[in-house]
Amino acid sequence: MHLFLEQLLNGVAIGSIYALVTLGLTLVYGILRILHVAHAAVYTVGAYLGLLFFKMSGSLLVGCAGAMAGCAVLGIAIERLVYFPLLKYPPYVPLIASIAILLALEEVCRLVAGPYILTFPAELPFPSLNLLGVDIPSSVMGILCITAGILAFLWFLTTRTETGLAMRAVSQDLTIADAMGINSHAVVSFTFAVGSAIAAVAGILVGIYYNQVYSTMGSVPAYKTLAIIVVGGLGSVPGAVAASLLLGIAETLLIGYAHIPLPRDALAFLAMIAVLMWRSEGLFGSR
Amino acid sequence: MLLEVNRLEISYGDVRAVHGADFAVAEGELVSIIGANGAGKTSILNGIMGLVPVRNGTVRFRGREITAMPAHRRAHEGIRLVPERARVFPRLSVYENLLTGAYGLRKKIPLEERLRWLYGLFPILEERRDQPAQTLSGGEQQQLAIARALISDPKLLLVDEVSMGLMPKLVDQVFDLLQSLNRDHGLTILLVEQNARASLEISHRAYVLETGSVVMEGPADDLLDDPKIQRAYLGLVEEEVERRQ
Repeated sequence: MHLFLEQLLNGVAIGSIYALVTLGLTLVYGILRILHVAHAAVYTVGAYLGLLFFKMSGSLLVGCAGAMAGCAVLGIAIERLVYFPLLKYPPYVPLIASIAILLALEEVCRLVAGPYILTFPAELPFPSLNLLGVDIPSSVMGILCITAGILAFLWFLTTRTETGLAMRAVSQDLTIADAMGINSHAVVSFTFAVGSAIAAVAGILVGIYYNQVYSTMGSVPAYKTLAIIVVGGLGSVPGAVAASLLLGIAETLLIGYAHIPLPRDALAFLAMIAVLMWRSEGLFGSR
Repeated sequence: MLLEVNRLEISYGDVRAVHGADFAVAEGELVSIIGANGAGKTSILNGIMGLVPVRNGTVRFRGREITAMPAHRRAHEGIRLVPERARVFPRLSVYENLLTGAYGLRKKIPLEERLRWLYGLFPILEERRDQPAQTLSGGEQQQLAIARALISDPKLLLVDEVSMGLMPKLVDQVFDLLQSLNRDHGLTILLVEQNARASLEISHRAYVLETGSVVMEGPADDLLDDPKIQRAYLGLVEEEVERRQ
């Protein structure tokens, strides 16, 4: 029973990280209807920047803040320099551009940091816990608390602030939002900045959790998060979070614990195929 | 003049929607632009609001040229649009839709007072305050679009085909409302309409638009009496036109 609960918590932790990466993808899809595949590269860059600033300053907090700022700038640059000029074309054009950015950024990381797996020798500043005999390591505690904090922040931002109202208005009708006095281009850029900063946090958490940072660490998340947003319902934030958590739990329990002889990463795509066949709008999608 | 538009040209790719339209609206006026479907009426309003790029010509508002000003800044200057088919934000609640109209102005306008005034004009919006706008009927969405444009106390209200898709009884109500906003509250309104009779009946002046150019203009009453207008836009048959002369 304890082993099961511990595995379940591990699954939730992995699902949380999926959720943090997928959030940015969902926000961008919701506002521009672009599949922002390059978001996974922003996550990789976030891990590298976090490691760099951590090593320079010795403080994980500084590393995290630096990576978030760096990735926010990177996200805005991708939006302004690549996506915005391409918006007038059919959606596959920005998608192809996005794949190109993903590959290019991975190569830049490899060229700058070298073709090695770097270690991320940091501890998350959270206590480990023993709840009724169930061990919760500090890394899992950290991931759960940080994810909960970020989700609470996003909820507050989108539902309780005027900026959040503008974000929702722009995602529903960009042109009319402009006519209401909302600077929708600035809102779009802000959305990229928020999503990218969250991806940086995810990159750092993964780096610490597996103690690995390498240039292609975004490759599997790049397509897995696509499967997740399809399962959750394109553009739905609650759907993306629920699908991420479910996937993390399913991967850990079905494959790690029940020893189903399938590659772990196959599960996301089986789920995506099932959703496309039976409920193409996704778990939380509308229409 | 509150609004002056000179030699306005708007095109989409190779298609010229508006070529060389000239018109003006003075403060306190209710002016309509009438014309058939595809005459370029919506393009003109979108050009004034800044939602489509103007190929040539100038738009001046309160004496200042705004031709290159982005739409969101025009909105803050006091130009507001009631779009064709309302275009309320479907998944925002009625209340949130109203708040988008006051975006960036919440501290500058007496928001509560404006809301109370709008709920007085449109009681249904208060009743449906927390419902998503997409659950409203077409007429209710149209009322919400008008209220959303009014909440910021605009200097110029642009109204695009407000009668489209409404029941005749509702059309009368909406036009009565626009007339009273103009007469009793001094709101300047530029109305674009296919329903020529209803809009001419409440307007001071009107322009007739054909394939992107102004072909006629004058006091609305004169246009209502003009045989050409009666035949082309008011749906009168020949005997009726003659009887009215």
